Amino acid sequence: MTSITGLRARLRALMRRRAAERELDEELRFHIEMETEKNVRAGMRPSDARWRALRDFGGVEPTKEEHRDVRGRWLEELVGDTRYALRTLRRAPVLATAAILTLALGIGANATIFSAVNAEILRPLPLANPSRLVMLWEENPEKNWHQQVCAPANAFDWKEQVKAFQDVALYFEGGGQTTMTGEGLPQILKTAGVTGNFFDLVGVRAQLGRVLTPDETWSVSGVARTAVISDHFWRERFAADPRIVGRSIRLDGQPTEIVGVAPRGFSFPVEGADIWQPMAWKPEFRDQVFFRRAHFVRAIARLAPGATPEAADAQLQTVVSRLKQQYPATNKYMGAGLTPLHRFLIGDTQLPLFVLLAAVALLLLIACANVGNLLLVRAAGREREVALRLTLGAGRGRLAKQALTESLVLSVLGGVAGVGLGVAGTRVLESILPPGMLRTSHFTVDWTVLGYVLAIVLGSGLLFGIAPALWAGRRSPAESLKEGGRGGDTRRMRRWTELLVVGEVALAVVLTLGAGLLMRSFRELVRVDPGFDPRGVLETRIVLASQKYDSAARVRLFFDELLRRTAALPGVVGAAATRVAPLAGTTYTSDFVIAGRPAGEYYTEIMHRPVTPDYFRVMHVPIRRGRAFTAADRADAPSVVIINEQVAAKYFKGQDPVGQRLTFDKVPNDSSQWSTIVGVAGGERQQALSAEPLTEVYIPFAQEPSQGMSILARTSGDPESIGPALRRIVSELDPDIPISDMRTMEAIRVKSLARERFLMTMLVIFAAVGLLLAVIGVYGVLAQVARRRTREMGIRIALGSPIGRVRWLVVRHGLGLVTLGVGIGLAVALIATRGLGALLYHVAPADPVTFVAIPLLLALTGVVAAWIPALQASRADPAIALRSE
Amino acid sequence: MPAAPSAADVLRGTLDLLVLKTLTLAPMHGWGISQRIQQFSRGVLDVNQGSLYPALQRLEQKGWIESEWQTTENNRRAKYYSLTRAGRRAVGDEAASWRRYVEAVELILQVS
Repeated sequence: MTSITGLRARLRALMRRRAAERELDEELRFHIEMETEKNVRAGMRPSDARWRALRDFGGVEPTKEEHRDVRGRWLEELVGDTRYALRTLRRAPVLATAAILTLALGIGANATIFSAVNAEILRPLPLANPSRLVMLWEENPEKNWHQQVCAPANAFDWKEQVKAFQDVALYFEGGGQTTMTGEGLPQILKTAGVTGNFFDLVGVRAQLGRVLTPDETWSVSGVARTAVISDHFWRERFAADPRIVGRSIRLDGQPTEIVGVAPRGFSFPVEGADIWQPMAWKPEFRDQVFFRRAHFVRAIARLAPGATPEAADAQLQTVVSRLKQQYPATNKYMGAGLTPLHRFLIGDTQLPLFVLLAAVALLLLIACANVGNLLLVRAAGREREVALRLTLGAGRGRLAKQALTESLVLSVLGGVAGVGLGVAGTRVLESILPPGMLRTSHFTVDWTVLGYVLAIVLGSGLLFGIAPALWAGRRSPAESLKEGGRGGDTRRMRRWTELLVVGEVALAVVLTLGAGLLMRSFRELVRVDPGFDPRGVLETRIVLASQKYDSAARVRLFFDELLRRTAALPGVVGAAATRVAPLAGTTYTSDFVIAGRPAGEYYTEIMHRPVTPDYFRVMHVPIRRGRAFTAADRADAPSVVIINEQVAAKYFKGQDPVGQRLTFDKVPNDSSQWSTIVGVAGGERQQALSAEPLTEVYIPFAQEPSQGMSILARTSGDPESIGPALRRIVSELDPDIPISDMRTMEAIRVKSLARERFLMTMLVIFAAVGLLLAVIGVYGVLAQVARRRTREMGIRIALGSPIGRVRWLVVRHGLGLVTLGVGIGLAVALIATRGLGALLYHVAPADPVTFVAIPLLLALTGVVAAWIPALQASRADPAIALRSE
Repeated sequence: MPAAPSAADVLRGTLDLLVLKTLTLAPMHGWGISQRIQQFSRGVLDVNQGSLYPALQRLEQKGWIESEWQTTENNRRAKYYSLTRAGRRAVGDEAASWRRYVEAVELILQVS
């Protein structure tokens, strides 16, 4: 292919093989005719002339053959080889099915996991020019804050002073809830609270009506009057009404105008958001201290044209240090920085995904080893046929190519089935993926995934095809054709199969060890005491969003009555309320000062948890010292708190905290409110089972009422059975209050393990499949070994060797292979499992228990896999065995 | 197989050059090319037909010649080959390298 014309000629030849053949025929016929005419002119008789012409030509067919060679025949050969491969596969349907299924399993698992990687990491965010978007965050080394949410006042200063930012928008991370009333039953909507410029900044237009406008960030009344609704909410709740824009709905009791519908599929920054509402902050907030002290919004910026992230960061640092000097009370220790938005959002979802991807890659490699072995074994069976073809002049390269084509045909068939499995797999993955584990929850097999699948199909085809191909190209026909001949070739092939088995055992060890570590870690997590007793407790969240509850007294009144009635329900042992149920999330933290400590000494990061008096009794949270709250700790009673053990251990070492006083100010002054510590409670885990309890202070609900509370009811029987009664009580008290999901605390505990359980389950499944494949591989090879040694065994048994010792020969062989594989696997795993470190709870990546148990398990499985063929071979009647070849 | 006892088979490597050279005169079909080579070499060189057509195919793939179906004087369809621009350049190069080769062989023959 030295030039374009040449290439074209070749291509033309390939494309129009038949036309080319016809042309050649015609050309050669013309030649013969001309030659014949010439001979006639020279005086020959016509028949002689033609015969002479043909003779001179020297054979038409060989010429054609040579012509075809020059024309290039790799495509023809490919088609021929493919046909041949399909034919031979059809002749061995069991082998073909086994190989295709094994491959489909491996490829399907890869397609599924990769579709998640693709959706989460590779596909760009569905925003305009997303690479120009950065996440802005604050940090505080004193409070151990990293990449934290921002104080709005700081973010507004960055927006105004950093020239490299075209604009900065704010939103509430994780979204909020809004209650819609007046449209049938009250409904809780998933709400994204954003500044008015949010849509412009991310570059998203409304499909109907308009998006929010920058001026809507602020509102004199402090109440949002507009909302943009999502496409799915529009379709499901309003039947895609084309005249929806301008319609008024009641949100949290406020008439709110729907101004627009967001484009289909858009749900940033809250996955599955129903509506977007503007912040509607009062303009005076901008200068109030809480706006700079309280950190509660995420800030994203679009870089100005031409500005690099580095330049933007440099400018940001200048503004940050200016703010430190300007507002030392709030900003003395506050730092800030930026991260590309996509990378920030991927954050901690990356590691579990890569672990899964690595697991399925290992699985595929094991599958490849198995299929390679199958093909080798089959190649051995076809030895005579191949030898015959070699003798008849088939090129060795040609035979190798044919073997490789066969592998590729298998891998393509496996790939097609694998894509089918992968599509089904993404559906399964979507349904079993714990909510919130990934940013995206919708996976598709798109062109990127198909490209990836194609790559692994070809890669694995070459991988498991190489051994049989080399084997096919390297044999000496003389050896094979000898009757019963078992020369060096067979030995060489056994090397190959044994190598594959050792390799797949090693891979299975790595995979199983990873799964074993996650299992160990999960067991540790399940055994963690959350600090309360979750069994028999029902939880539901009540939010009093309406204007009806605008005073603390009304809020108290509502919850007091609700708890009184709930506690009186039959089957209910006690009822209590807390701001946020344990294991369900954190509330807010503050600094604090303990009375009597040196002036200027303060502590940071204590979490506040308002609870009703019965909380400790209902949740079985032990009071270690002092007392629990009582009904006497009313709003007008002396201010009291209960600290958890963590606070006592950290700040009252060697002292009795009960009776001491504290205040939640960094620098106490005359207006500071001091509270007396009346008790010490056992620590509860607030965020997750894997997170140690944070330092926390319990506050009587009466002294710090809140409109949103978790209601907890301990029952003597099935907690869910009181659900309907609880619902009835709430709607009797106020029919406009929606009840979100009711969950048992046990369900909350289980949910807090969802990610770990998911990852562990996936890995255990992959490891089990991998292990099974490896065992099949070991069994397959040893069955070969045993069959080959049947004769030898027969002789040994005939000569009086104990059967046990004869069996041991085969088992020892298998054990040797397995031991080698396990050893290699262990060495690899010692390095590979380090990547799991961040996912393990109280288990070291090189956990000795796992690293002893798993290899033993594998070795044992290997022995079993070896024992079966050994048993079969030794049972054979020596007389028959001796004749077996 | 040679047509006459005195004729010699064309050396394989030189066939390409002979074909190209023949085509510098005018486009010609395969049979015509073989006749010309025989004529020009005064009957000394006989083209093995079995290698002529593969050679034509090879040259076409190299982009040195191109082919087209045309009608002969006798009103018959034949595939005519003609030189491409690259082919014209190649004739010179091939001829030069052939002459060098012949000179070298001659030098060696003169040694004894």
